Amino acid sequence: MKYLNRFDQWLVIVLVVGSTLLYGSLTWLINAANSGQRIAIVSYRDEEILRIDMSINANYVVQGTLGEVFIEVQDQRIRVEKETSPLNICSIQGWVSSSFVPITCLPNHILIVIVAPKEGDIDFEVK
Amino acid sequence: MNRKNSVKNMMIITMLMAMSIVFHLIEPVLPIPVPGVKLGLANILGLIALMLYGIKTMYAVNLSRVLIASLLRGILFGTGFWVSLSGVLISTTIVALLYKTNKFSVVGLSIAAAAFHNVGQVFMIMLIYSSVFMIYWMPPLIWLSIPTGLLTGILATGALQRLRVMK
Repeated sequence: MKYLNRFDQWLVIVLVVGSTLLYGSLTWLINAANSGQRIAIVSYRDEEILRIDMSINANYVVQGTLGEVFIEVQDQRIRVEKETSPLNICSIQGWVSSSFVPITCLPNHILIVIVAPKEGDIDFEVK
Repeated sequence: MNRKNSVKNMMIITMLMAMSIVFHLIEPVLPIPVPGVKLGLANILGLIALMLYGIKTMYAVNLSRVLIASLLRGILFGTGFWVSLSGVLISTTIVALLYKTNKFSVVGLSIAAAAFHNVGQVFMIMLIYSSVFMIYWMPPLIWLSIPTGLLTGILATGALQRLRVMK
């Protein structure tokens, strides 16, 4: 390639191979860890505000820094349906069903993470 | 360095800083189809500073960009500021180390800057949100940083060719 010398090409190869290996390892870990998990935890400014049972299709609304954040659960997947933020990154992110992929709404300080349920967890509770 | 040259260099460095701040401010509104991905146009000015004036000037241009752009946006010392600062610090340090080897071209340095900017940002988000899961974003961001780094590197190469003629 005209713009890349030999060392640049090696750098690109190292970056692509390294990140692909990391992605492969993480995907393998996700598949191993995903069995049986059905709880999503919604946090606002690092404090848990909602616990959602992923097996129930439903809609939830939580208050973020810039306004209400609308969360939807369907077919054991979760997404931010609507929110107020400059770039709407977390609603564009779409459906998530893996515990290794959090939904982070930075301007609203909302974090949604899927975790494995503990003994005695109820369907969901609002604190 | 005589007085005339020192004033000229100071003016060029100030212009590089000003342009990098403008790029940093306007970039979020440029339409990119992938969420969370930016072209990193401000990196062009950091690379030009490196190639024309050396490592210290690159640090000055990149750090002043983050500080002043965050101040202008009203997010100084907020989450976005720390994410931006960690990306710039890690990418600038890696580029400085690679530059010292004298083996890499401007385009190679640009790709490294783009990739490690994302690495720094993801690490800071992991730290702020105490969420190790955010590392899952790192590989896709590194893949995307290669074409964006290539583009900014080619633009920096073109700009440097013209600036060296001016010097």
